[in-house]
Amino acid sequence: MCDNYVMRSTQHVVEEKTSPEEMGHYSDPPLLVLASLANGPKHGHLMIEDIERLSGTRLGPGTLYGAIGRLEQQGWIEPLPAEKRRQPYRITAEGLRVLRAKLTTLERFAKSGLKRLEVL
Amino acid sequence: MNPNLAWLLTRLYPRPWRERYGAEFEELLETGHGGVRILANVVWSGLRERIFPIQGLTPDHATGSVAFHSFCMRAPWVIFSVAPVFLLAGGYFVACLILWAGWKIFLPGADSPFGGGPRHGFANLYFQFGKHFYGGAPILVGWVIAIIAARQRAKAVWPLTGFILVAWMGATARIEASRTVVPRGFGHIHMGFVLWPLDRNGHDGLVHALVILSLAVLPYLVWRFRSTRTMFS
Repeated sequence: MCDNYVMRSTQHVVEEKTSPEEMGHYSDPPLLVLASLANGPKHGHLMIEDIERLSGTRLGPGTLYGAIGRLEQQGWIEPLPAEKRRQPYRITAEGLRVLRAKLTTLERFAKSGLKRLEVL
Repeated sequence: MNPNLAWLLTRLYPRPWRERYGAEFEELLETGHGGVRILANVVWSGLRERIFPIQGLTPDHATGSVAFHSFCMRAPWVIFSVAPVFLLAGGYFVACLILWAGWKIFLPGADSPFGGGPRHGFANLYFQFGKHFYGGAPILVGWVIAIIAARQRAKAVWPLTGFILVAWMGATARIEASRTVVPRGFGHIHMGFVLWPLDRNGHDGLVHALVILSLAVLPYLVWRFRSTRTMFS
């Protein structure tokens, strides 16, 4: 249809410079939520603040609740009685096992990677 | 964030999700920072939640009405074969209507809407919209098939039938326009489908069909991949 038209397209590519510190931010929402709950129950607000302190990543509300929903479905976190409209969550024993296993893998990976960097 | 906006954004999520997390999520939005990034995050997550709902929050068969699910199970050929064909036919009808109206409004003296010389401004925008609507219709119908198949957990054979049908229709469709067919220069737009060979305006129709098929089937493949990964993780 309308073959005589030339498709006009403008692509605006802006290359953002990212500092090495920013590139070092870790973002795996379910793991971050589990890690945040490892030192006690928290509700959404506290989790966002705690995760930012822990990893440098500020999760959006949608991402946070996407992770909470899936973690609760898997039985790795559970809700506590609500405080007005705020709902605190705590990590379950199964969640702790999963968190420990994932962090151990990450630790092993990080150690191997850093050892390789030492050679350079 | 404004409470009304927070309420509105929460409505983007499916009902079972809202029943479980709606109140606390709305509170989090109301008391948290606003901004475009947060807005985009909430809208995107809401759409994801609609396409890939948390299974524990929905009945086993998926969200949506029981009657619709039951119908999908009893007559999948209607939902995944007949309905997409009619939906695409409706889309093509609208595309032809857009083309015909544009021809009447912007090119009243031209013999055909395809060769009317350079067009600028709103006319160009109008015809570009029509062109993209026409080109994108089979892909959009494919995405509708993908969403229904994912939500209703349909067997792969039925959505695949639908994808192939819309890809075939998209690749073989052709529009012809003439002012001489109808008296008084009213203008006539005709749409047809070339059954074989799959050749359209010198382009390789088979490649066109494969491109449509790939784009239409993509969300469904992503869903299948995610389901399989969740199952094995």
